[in-house]
Amino acid sequence: MTDRPTLTRRGLLRGLGTATVVAGCAREPSEPATTAPEPPADLPAGATAIGPGPAPLRLQVNGEARTLEVPPSTTLLVALRDHLGLRAAKEVCDRGACGACMVLVDGEPMNSCMMLAHDGEGRELTTVEGLAPAGELTALQRQMIAHDGLQCGFCTPGMVISATALLRRGGPVDRDAAEQAIAGNLCRCGSYPHIVAAIVDAAGQGGTHG
Amino acid sequence: MAEAVTVYTLRLGLEGAIKDVKIEAPAGEPRPWDASAQLRVIGHDTARVDGHLKVRGAAQYTHDVRLEGMLHAAVLRSPHPCCVVDSIDVEPARRRPGVQAAIAVAKAGDRLLFAGQDVAAVAARTRAEARAALAAIKVTYRPAPFVVDTAEAMSPSAPVVHAAGDAVTRRTEGDEPGEGSGGSDKGNVRTTPSMKKGDVQKGLRAAELKHEATYTTQCHTHSALETHSVVVRWEAKDKLTVWSSTQGIFSVRDEMVEIFDLKPRDVAVITEFMGGGFGAKFGASAPGSRLGWIAGELARQAKAPVSLLLDRHEEHVCTGNRPDSIQRVAIGATKAGDLTAIHVVAHGSAGIATGAGVGRNAFGIYSACPNARTESHDVFANTGPGTAFRAPGHPQGAFAVELALDELAAKSGLDPLALRLRNVTHPVRKRQLELGRERFQWAKRRADADARRGRGARVLHGVGVACSIWGDYGRKGAASVTVEVGRDGSVVVKNGVQDIGGGITTVLAMVVAEVLGRSVADVEVKLGRAEFGPSVGSGGSQTTSSVAPAARNAAEQVKAQLLEIAAKALDRKKASEVTLGPDGAFKAASKSIPWADLCKKIPGEAAVATATRPGNYGTAPLNLPSGQSYEIAGCQFAAVEVDTWTGVVRVPEILAIHDCGRAHNPLTTRSQINGGVILGVSYALMEQRVMDRRSGRMLNPNLESYKIAGARDVPTIDVVLTEVFTGGNSTGAIGIGEPATIPTAAAIACAVRHAIGAPVRDLPLTPDRVLAALGRVT
Repeated sequence: MTDRPTLTRRGLLRGLGTATVVAGCAREPSEPATTAPEPPADLPAGATAIGPGPAPLRLQVNGEARTLEVPPSTTLLVALRDHLGLRAAKEVCDRGACGACMVLVDGEPMNSCMMLAHDGEGRELTTVEGLAPAGELTALQRQMIAHDGLQCGFCTPGMVISATALLRRGGPVDRDAAEQAIAGNLCRCGSYPHIVAAIVDAAGQGGTHG
Repeated sequence: MAEAVTVYTLRLGLEGAIKDVKIEAPAGEPRPWDASAQLRVIGHDTARVDGHLKVRGAAQYTHDVRLEGMLHAAVLRSPHPCCVVDSIDVEPARRRPGVQAAIAVAKAGDRLLFAGQDVAAVAARTRAEARAALAAIKVTYRPAPFVVDTAEAMSPSAPVVHAAGDAVTRRTEGDEPGEGSGGSDKGNVRTTPSMKKGDVQKGLRAAELKHEATYTTQCHTHSALETHSVVVRWEAKDKLTVWSSTQGIFSVRDEMVEIFDLKPRDVAVITEFMGGGFGAKFGASAPGSRLGWIAGELARQAKAPVSLLLDRHEEHVCTGNRPDSIQRVAIGATKAGDLTAIHVVAHGSAGIATGAGVGRNAFGIYSACPNARTESHDVFANTGPGTAFRAPGHPQGAFAVELALDELAAKSGLDPLALRLRNVTHPVRKRQLELGRERFQWAKRRADADARRGRGARVLHGVGVACSIWGDYGRKGAASVTVEVGRDGSVVVKNGVQDIGGGITTVLAMVVAEVLGRSVADVEVKLGRAEFGPSVGSGGSQTTSSVAPAARNAAEQVKAQLLEIAAKALDRKKASEVTLGPDGAFKAASKSIPWADLCKKIPGEAAVATATRPGNYGTAPLNLPSGQSYEIAGCQFAAVEVDTWTGVVRVPEILAIHDCGRAHNPLTTRSQINGGVILGVSYALMEQRVMDRRSGRMLNPNLESYKIAGARDVPTIDVVLTEVFTGGNSTGAIGIGEPATIPTAAAIACAVRHAIGAPVRDLPLTPDRVLAALGRVT
């Protein structure tokens, strides 16, 4: 983990204050703020403020450096889907409750709807599109197919990311560990038993590759 | 005029009780696959042919469609549960950044009936711009009195939601065929025709044992992960393409044709993949939002493609739900346990819509009972419209009647399973209950749980059982499937059906591979587009039974063409002298010709046939009481653990025993049954739409306080398929999607009653209710 200050979506909402957010929900006319909030006193030297308009950004996604320009309010999920054309991660709840938008951030599964795109700078980002070379599948992906760990498939990319993070940590994986790994991922079709079986079998075959 | 028929003697019935049955099928129908059919592909676990696209995130859903110049739409929704629109002005929105079109959906003078109803919409370059621009729309609302609580809405003094006769009944392919509609209104209560046999009052008077109580169930939202979504592009002024997350491609086409006055062939509909529907996704619009018109009109005005994707809040409030229910149940029986009457009076609210009936459970399952009556009433309230939701009406109906049966059994010392066995007549259902009794160790588990309760343990155990009823609704002539074998040996099967996740893509490949001696991987499946030929909606558990037999019939016709060609190539006079082996080789006596060589002899580009399926011609072993179709039986056994200190209910195990005819792909069939059970667990324990009576708005329109089951909430599920060969169609398919979720919540509620010795008569079975039933809180 880095110690650099990060702007999280939750933090941003806190900063704006509940009143603003509630007014936004009620769809009252909202005018742009005329006075910027005071920057935190502990802002390190050299840090610069960006926004509210688009600001340039460099992301390391699936091993490639990508540049884009998005406002600081843009979530990583929207940046991936709408600006980088990586649409495996799905928007379902848009508030960190379902796991459909999971991506790996420095190897950890994160809800990309709860992270701002600009906070992805300097991190190693991996989406489902980047797990295996073109035309190949990881052991987990093969087991997901063999066990039918999916029905409509909309939760599948998020499930695969959460399970991949578990498998990459190595070591034995039992049902309990597999269930724990996907505890933040919702599947409305009810494929959990087959997904768990797929994760356990993939672990038995030596993890995510091969 | 009598139609020409072919008579087949088939091996039909339930495994272990297979009999020779004479079937009259329309002439030209292939010999149906019966119990004696030796099949190489069908009936074997087969991985989904499109699984690789889903696990790589390469499957394209409507949410993922991005078109050149595409705009994003957002909808302004009424903040009031009931109001009159005095004025509306969308002009200011047109001047906001990025906005290309703005339209009013409501007009001045319109009365809006629920919080979340369409008011206006905009299309802008980004979703953020579209949402921001909604704030500029000027609307004056005049709030009016409203009611959102079902019991309150039934009161004569409640505000009246609909002027007399204004409520329109909307039925979709997700509704159970044959269920009645129409009726008469009194205030907010519409009485619908009742289902009755015998005389329940007489039956109750004659009863030696009686039980009467009221049961309630909650409103349940579909919560498909992909929200309702539509993308519209006008190709010309009278021609458009629609991408839709839908369960019914042709229902989308028909709605767009009607709205924009187009010709059916000028509306292309594409649903390559869709992220769940559960009954709420029929038509271009959602049940409570005119998405098809909004996206189409915005696209027309902006002269650009428009994508309209609902957010999670909208998905909860205006795209349908399973109505709640308040059911008064009275049952009577003899001391020995023979039911003499079942009487259900149900009220439920589908909000501003109709369709809050409670299904046929009380009426159809315990068929030895001579007197049964189910009276359903729709109660109108100022909430979003209900719509078909996986087995409409049935889970709520099953919950009330099954728990009432257990309460009757407990009062009289009868074993709840024995009581059920005495009163069912469907031979498959009887067999399933007996099978479950052994496999679930019913007697031992009951005794252990009773002993545990006797010891005063903190965590109590219980077991329960409940049944499902559904029909074989496979549709005659509705799906036209085309099979093509090319000169290069390729095989393509085409139909305009959509794969909701049930796996019809794979089943189509399997059926064609079976007939043509190919492997599943050799068959390319083309679906998800209207242009691939008429098809059915993914609803009512009818997809496989409508489409798979048509695919077989088309493949058989192509095979006949190939046999003719082979006969010539092998110097035979008649095609009947040639056989097509499982290796794809054509053989006659000692001579043979491989698949690839034979295909080169196809005249023209390809051997092609399009076929459909006739109506059901066999219904062994039993019909529904009310019609011509086979009655699908199922039952589930639940084990629960109840923490008497916290009131928390856990469900460690469910045994699900279901009949689904011939399971074409047992792997995906098990997935569907797991899904039905998990939906049922979630409904039993967690899910509940919470309406604020003061503001008239939903309090939990999200996925963190509207709880749905996750991986750690689900039981170990033991799936048993009792295969029945009905002889109803050429492949033996019937449905499973709906039956699998019907009995789950009921079985869990019965198990909780067994565990704690007291009923919890209200779903969901939340800790407060369990503690109240235990007398620990008041």
